[in-house]
Amino acid sequence: MKRLRQFPTLHIDTNETRSLKYRGKSLQGFAGDTVATALYANGIRIFSRSLKYHRPRGLYNLDGESSNTCMEVDGVPNVRTENTLLKDGMVVKAQNVKGSVDHDLMAFIDKLDWLMPAGFYYKTMHKPAAVWPVAMKAIRKAAGVGTISADYKVKGRYDEIFLTADVCVIGGGAAGMMAALTAAESGVRVIVLESRPHLGGCWDYRTGAYKENKPLFARARELAGQVENTSNIRVFKQTSMVGAYNNNLITAFQVGKSNDAFTERYVEIRSKSVVVATGCIERPLIFENNERPGVMQVACAHRLARSYGLLPGEAAVFSIGHDLGLEAALDLFDLGLKIRCVADIREDGHDAGLLAALAERKIPVLKGWVAAKAHGCKQVTKVTLATLDGTVKRHIPCDLLVASAGHTPVNGPLILAQTNIAYDNHSGFFLPKKLPEKMFSAGWMTGRSHPQAIEASGQVAGLKALAAIGVTDKTAVFAAEKEAAALPGIDRGCKLVTAPVKGRKSFICFDEDTTIKNIKQAIDMGFDVPELIKRFTSAGTGPGQGGIPGHNLPLFVSKYTASASKPMPTAVRPPLVPTLLATYAGAHHHMFKRTPLHASQKKGGGIFRNIGVWQRARYFSSDFDCKDEILNVRNNVGLLDSSTLGKFRIFGPDALKALQRLYVSDMSKLKQGRIKYSAMCNDDGCVIDDGIVIKRGDNDYYVTTSSGRAGNTVEWFRYHTRYDGWQYHMVNLTDAMGVINISGPNARKVLKKIADADISNNAFPFAGYREFTVKNTIPVRAMRLGFVGELSFELHVPSSYMQSVWDMLMAAGAEFNIKNFGLEAQNVLRMEKGHIILGQESEQRTNLLDLGLGFLWDRKKTAAKTVGAVALRQAENDPGRFKLVGIRMQDDARAPRDGALIVDTHVRGYVATARKSFTTGEAVGMALVESQLSKPGSRLEIYEDECNEIRLQARVVPMPFYDPDGQRMKM
Amino acid sequence: MALTLTCPICGKRNGYEFRYGGEDKGSRPDEKGLSPADWCDYVHMNTCTAGVQKEWWFHRDGCGAWFSTYRNTLSNLEVDRPEDST
Amino acid sequence: MTDIQRYSPVTFESSVKESEVRDNWKIVLAYQNEGPGPWLVDLGHKTRWDLQDSQIDDPSQSGLSVPSSPGTCFLAEKKLINRMNRTQTAIWHLGIEETIIPDFNGFTDVTESTVFLALFGPDAFHVAEKLTALDLMDPARTTPFLLQGPLCHVPCQIVILERHADMSGGFIMTCSRGYADSMVQAVLDSGREFGLRPAGETRFADWVRKVQNQTSN
Repeated sequence: MKRLRQFPTLHIDTNETRSLKYRGKSLQGFAGDTVATALYANGIRIFSRSLKYHRPRGLYNLDGESSNTCMEVDGVPNVRTENTLLKDGMVVKAQNVKGSVDHDLMAFIDKLDWLMPAGFYYKTMHKPAAVWPVAMKAIRKAAGVGTISADYKVKGRYDEIFLTADVCVIGGGAAGMMAALTAAESGVRVIVLESRPHLGGCWDYRTGAYKENKPLFARARELAGQVENTSNIRVFKQTSMVGAYNNNLITAFQVGKSNDAFTERYVEIRSKSVVVATGCIERPLIFENNERPGVMQVACAHRLARSYGLLPGEAAVFSIGHDLGLEAALDLFDLGLKIRCVADIREDGHDAGLLAALAERKIPVLKGWVAAKAHGCKQVTKVTLATLDGTVKRHIPCDLLVASAGHTPVNGPLILAQTNIAYDNHSGFFLPKKLPEKMFSAGWMTGRSHPQAIEASGQVAGLKALAAIGVTDKTAVFAAEKEAAALPGIDRGCKLVTAPVKGRKSFICFDEDTTIKNIKQAIDMGFDVPELIKRFTSAGTGPGQGGIPGHNLPLFVSKYTASASKPMPTAVRPPLVPTLLATYAGAHHHMFKRTPLHASQKKGGGIFRNIGVWQRARYFSSDFDCKDEILNVRNNVGLLDSSTLGKFRIFGPDALKALQRLYVSDMSKLKQGRIKYSAMCNDDGCVIDDGIVIKRGDNDYYVTTSSGRAGNTVEWFRYHTRYDGWQYHMVNLTDAMGVINISGPNARKVLKKIADADISNNAFPFAGYREFTVKNTIPVRAMRLGFVGELSFELHVPSSYMQSVWDMLMAAGAEFNIKNFGLEAQNVLRMEKGHIILGQESEQRTNLLDLGLGFLWDRKKTAAKTVGAVALRQAENDPGRFKLVGIRMQDDARAPRDGALIVDTHVRGYVATARKSFTTGEAVGMALVESQLSKPGSRLEIYEDECNEIRLQARVVPMPFYDPDGQRMKM
Repeated sequence: MALTLTCPICGKRNGYEFRYGGEDKGSRPDEKGLSPADWCDYVHMNTCTAGVQKEWWFHRDGCGAWFSTYRNTLSNLEVDRPEDST
Repeated sequence: MTDIQRYSPVTFESSVKESEVRDNWKIVLAYQNEGPGPWLVDLGHKTRWDLQDSQIDDPSQSGLSVPSSPGTCFLAEKKLINRMNRTQTAIWHLGIEETIIPDFNGFTDVTESTVFLALFGPDAFHVAEKLTALDLMDPARTTPFLLQGPLCHVPCQIVILERHADMSGGFIMTCSRGYADSMVQAVLDSGREFGLRPAGETRFADWVRKVQNQTSN
């Protein structure tokens, strides 16, 4: 198709060709084309088939308000081709067709519309009930528009950016640009968001006069130049606002240009004030077959010519209700479009100059007339015009019907921010009645179309935004408002809702194929408000999300129900514009923690798992039962990286008070050089952490916690002492020191080769704490604990020295064939000793006494108001509580799975951890059971998932299962 | 995330930087004469005010301060004083 | 006998041009092809202390004068002193001299607790705005100032040392040591489009000297 060239409003560059593939052919477009305009330029008129009736659909508007032109592009379904710039080599496919768009085999459904009144699926497809599963499958296959494979991987780079501004302007048209320039004069930080690839809004393509000899598009370019050259204004183009939240948090999505580092990115802006100047879209004219290919809105026709150099047709009929329609008719005529007739809904109120110009060109204008029916199926061939009362008709052949009832302000951003919106009788617009704090609206969306009035409203909004943040005062605002008031105000709008038709094929929503007839059916059934009707008929719930029916639906409902109350628009919710999940995900940096030994653990064959925020080595071979690792610790010596343990320095005059509050034990008699093992509970008496406390000096303690609680410990301490005003300080040393656990009967033989201290059993007994150096350089805090039940030294080493110490121990242990062991091996070793892991052997309901840890609790220190003490005392004698017990399987062949249920007639508990022990050959474990089943010798039945009714038998036995006297750890 | 809170150390920040610490119920009562029902009320029961309430927040992603503030639960906006309830 | 070496949690993949050993740390002075900036420098070997005391405003106890309000900092003789809250201050040594921790129990050596990084040069704050919603460009603050808040949702201490309207300048930050790999990855990833590259201690020292010679902000 020939392109119009050589005029300044064009956004295409005819020197830069771009091609796309469609239906096996290579089609050519230009840089600046959207996929839709490129297809249109190549003669494509049917872009898709509609959802329900498979009616042919074409180009109707150019901002993606409907899904008419949603197509699959490069494997991505539902791409809005009107909003997508053409990139060379794109592969484009039509959606929702069986056969081709031109010859869709499902098109016959259009004739069966009488079988599918509003809500027909609610009524027909579930009686009898057996019908529904069949019907559901069929509907799912037929419904929906795009298809995607479950294996599809999105291509491109998705990023995120977080901005702070004083004034955020949404909308880069004249009003928005004026607001931005006004605000920027004061030096504050201003951001402008604009959906399209260029600033300029609805002036961008218009040759009508701004002032004297300056056309609107020139003024738009002038303002755009000023905005882009103002250093404290940041402009984001191809950026659509999608959400507005409390305290003016604005979210948006930006599509990258070809030279941007991102394909799409998420934009989040916290702004002190916001100006919304999003302009208007057109209100669709409703008549029979109002969605045929060849029917399009005014701005669509006008921009096809002025922005993309495409005359939208050969011979047109216009059916409009506002001066922009007249202006477009004139301009398009002058560009070469034959115009058979302009039907204007209005009887009066037209711009006299425009009427005169039309008369000059001998274009017939029918006042008080409107399109009643479009003829032709795949393409408009003829239109029937009628008087508003429907009594007189005329048929006019044409291949283009430019139809529009009026305009609709783009209120989405205001509604998201919970603006009070109300219907204005004069303009026919939904206008803000009460704006939220620090949010202002400007421009065409307020009902004004006069160019100077639009600019003035932008200025006022910019000043109001500044006044709201204290940068300017009310006098500046009043002065600007006064000037603006002298300019033309809100336009009188056309109120026509539908042409005089029955409405069987008058579509109020294109996406969902909802007709006026369907709306009437819903209302007749008793649905009386737009929100209900919307859902019952699904009007506005498709990809366009109300872009087509949003304004017309409440107007029609109000009219048909003869309601006395004013029409109310239906709610909108974020995102206002559809986008990829990948964009919401943004950069999604995966943040996790590694220990100082990560690299060497990996090199040593460690197989890692994510535990909380940490990556930790769980296994050191492909044997996930860890037999070698376990027996090596029992019989020889192994090394475990426990660096993730929480570690804290707690000091200060009231440090002891804090310890007494948080720990259940009495901390007042801690001896230096000895470890105190204790637990912390919550206010329900449930154990939330266990660890050791060491006194290093006066009012100076070193405390360890479980890995999972390390990140919460300071918070926990401060929370439970927040009313007390105590003087104590905490330093989180969790990451400052790595921890090496050297365990096994040969542990001392290895360690003594590198330790600068006497670590014999006399000098350093079990439960002792010693500080010494390694190689006279590296300070080490060492403790003897028995978690895995063998001779163990837990070495706390400054993180930067960890690798060196590890290497030394590996070298020192080489003669013993020292080996790594991982978390799973540790898990089994400690289970054999009946030692708990919080979260594994405990849960929300298990308190200190249930776990058999009552011996840790000092009941006498009531003055400390220990967290958990009250609940423990109150629950002490409650029957039926879960108790932690040891279990032994009747058949030692295998242990039940962790989490298997313990049952009789009801669930009575569950298996926490169970394994077949390599050490003892027995299948044993720890379980939580109701107290009446907790006595040693009690029989238990275990129910595993998918056990086919075969329960496993076990009985309660004393713990620990291995070395009950604890001799091994005290060597 | 829309909610902003004013940390006494760091100033106004995104709500996501904080962890909610519950309604302000005062310091833990004396154990003497405390029934299980009283204790359960203190720990678990909330007033659930529809309006301005005093509550605790922890600045988890920032300075680690615990502080109390007032928030209108209907608008989900922090307010300056308890009298600011509309 | 195995050599003793102290390891920073940060490793960059770039080729080392020049390095030296101090106090068992192998410190990279310069990398090959550091480029025109912005730069990311690992300061992991530099000493950091935590000071907490209820009378922290009284220098006679600790021997150290600290800024009076949270969020404010002194930069004096290569020591950056950041007031964190009513009772706590962070001391970050930016030079190469040996340090001796004062004999006052309020001090804790926390050098090992954190990753310590510097990001500076052209577009430094363009990189930052991809990592955090914190307002590092807040015109109401004067450099050097401290922000305690998240980068990539990880809590950090961030001190902005230099800042210009064109988003050049720089800041230094600490966060929990375990996050080193993922934080460096996230920062380098976000900075790639601006040409962010690792650089050595020399470039950092030059920058700090320049900042100290200028009047702040």
